[in-house]
Amino acid sequence: MLSIALSELIQIFRNRLVLISSLVMPIAVSAFFIYQHEVFEKLGSLGYIAAIIMFTVSAFGLYTTAVTTLASRRQNLFLKRLRSTTVGDASILTGLVLPLCVIAVVQIAAILTVLGIVTGAPDNIALVIVGVVGTVTMMLGLALATAGFTNSPEHAQVTTLPISLGVIAIASYVGISGTEELAPLKRLLPGGAATELVSGAWNGGASVTDSLLLLAPTLAWVLVAAVLATRFFRWEPRR
Amino acid sequence: MTTTPVIDVERLNLWYGDFHAVKDLSFQVRHGEFYALLGTNGAGKTSTLEAIEGHRTATSGTVRVFGQDPGDRRAVRPRMGIMLQDSGFTPDLTVQESVRLIGALSGRTDTVDRVLGIIDLTRKAGTKVSQLSGGEKRRLDFATAVYGSPELVFLDEPTTGLDIQARDDLWDAVERLREHGSTIILTTHYLEEAQQRADRIGLMHEGVFHQEGTVSELTQTLPAAIHFTLPSTAPVLPLQTTRERDGKLLVETFDLQRDLYTLLGWARQHEVELSDLSSGPTRLDDVFRAIGTK
Repeated sequence: MLSIALSELIQIFRNRLVLISSLVMPIAVSAFFIYQHEVFEKLGSLGYIAAIIMFTVSAFGLYTTAVTTLASRRQNLFLKRLRSTTVGDASILTGLVLPLCVIAVVQIAAILTVLGIVTGAPDNIALVIVGVVGTVTMMLGLALATAGFTNSPEHAQVTTLPISLGVIAIASYVGISGTEELAPLKRLLPGGAATELVSGAWNGGASVTDSLLLLAPTLAWVLVAAVLATRFFRWEPRR
Repeated sequence: MTTTPVIDVERLNLWYGDFHAVKDLSFQVRHGEFYALLGTNGAGKTSTLEAIEGHRTATSGTVRVFGQDPGDRRAVRPRMGIMLQDSGFTPDLTVQESVRLIGALSGRTDTVDRVLGIIDLTRKAGTKVSQLSGGEKRRLDFATAVYGSPELVFLDEPTTGLDIQARDDLWDAVERLREHGSTIILTTHYLEEAQQRADRIGLMHEGVFHQEGTVSELTQTLPAAIHFTLPSTAPVLPLQTTRERDGKLLVETFDLQRDLYTLLGWARQHEVELSDLSSGPTRLDDVFRAIGTK
C-alpha cells in the first residue's frame, strides 16, 4: 500500500494539472479568504471562513483530484495492473488516495493555522479537528462514488462539478445564513452540518454535545457515499 | 515434475447478462507446460483467462490455480506473472519506477536492472511511460510479468507491436523461464507462434473448446495440401484434384508423403512438368479457418 501511495505522490508532483488543482488552487482561494477576512467575517463569521476554506480544499484538492485520479488509473488499466499483484482492493484504493488525503489534511491544517494566527485562535480546536476529519471522510466517500460513473479524467471535469461546487455553495449558504431557520434541512444537505460544526467550534458558543450531534448527518453522507461507491465503483473500463 | 495440475478448470461458466460467454469449459494445464489458448473473436478466451488470473469470478464451475482459488491474491499471485493485453501503466512514472512498483507488489524478489536487461529496456529505465512506443510498453509489460521468474506466466498477445529483434528477445526469455520449469499460458493472434512453441493448444469457439490437443493432434484432423499447375495436354492424374480460383490444382491428403510420391512418380513417368509445385502439412491457420465453416 505504501509503495502505491509513494508512486502516487511522485505522480502528483510530476503532473502539472493535478499539482495546480490539488495544491495551488486551494491555497490561492484560501489565501484570498484570509486576506479578505474582514469582509467575509462581516458577511458570515470567522467560523464561516474556516468552513469555506475546509470545503474549498476538500472539494478541489481532495474530491476532484481523487475522482480524476481514479478515473485515469482505471482508464489506462493501472487498477487492473494493481489487481494483478498480491495487494487487496482496499489497500489499492487506500494507497491511491492516501497522498491526496494527507495533502488535503496538511493543507487545511496549515491554512487554518494561518487563519488562526491572523484572526485569533478558534474557540474549540478539538471540535474543529473533528469537523475536518468528518468532512475529509465524507468527501473521500463521495469521490469513490463519483469515480464509479466517471469514465475518464476529462469526464471528471463534468461529473465532479455538482458536488464540488455544491458543497462550497452549501457551506456558504449555511455559513452566511446560519441555522436559526430551516436548520433540519440545512443540516441534511451534504456539508451543511459540517459547516455548522466547524463554524460553531471556531466562533464559540456551541455546546460540545450539540456540536458532536452535527457529526451524525456528515457520517450519514459517508454511509450514503460508501453504499454508492460499493454499487457503482468499477475496476475496469466498460467494454 | 509434479502431477498436480497448475491450472484446473472444471465446468467453468461465465455469463454477462443474457450472454453466455463461456460454456461448461473444462481443462487442465500441467506443471512446465506451454499452453496456448486460442480462439476466434468473441470466443471467450479473454474471459476464461481472466477467470484463471483471478480478475473475474466464475458464474458457475471451479477454477483452481496451484490448487487454490485464484482470487486469493496473497496465496496465488506471488507464483504468477501476468502480462496484460493492454499496457496498464501510469504515464508519469518512469520505466524503472513502474517495474520497481509492480515488482514490490508482486510478492517476488528480483532486481529491476535484471528484468529490464532481459528485454533490452535498460537504456529506457529513466524514460517516462508516456514517452514509450507501443512496442516498448509491451516490453515493459513483459518485464513486470517475469519479475522474480514466476512459476506461472500469462502472456496475453505478448508480441503485438514488437519488432523482430524484440520478439526474439521475448521468446528467448520465455524459453529460459521454461528451462527453469515455469508454466506458460499464451493467447495470441499470431498462430505460428503458438504452433512453434505450444505443447498443447485449446482452440475456443463460441464459449467452448472447438478442439484441444497438441499441434499435430489438431492439424491431423484436416488434410494437407499439394498445389501445382499442369499443362492442358497432360494425361489423367492418378489423384483426385480440385481446381482453385487461381487455376492451380489442389490435392488434399491425409497421407502427404504417399500422395506426393505418387504425384512425382506420375509426372516423371509421363514427363510432365508440375509448375508452381508446393506442399506442406496442415497449419494451425487451416484448422482455425475451418472453425467458421463447420
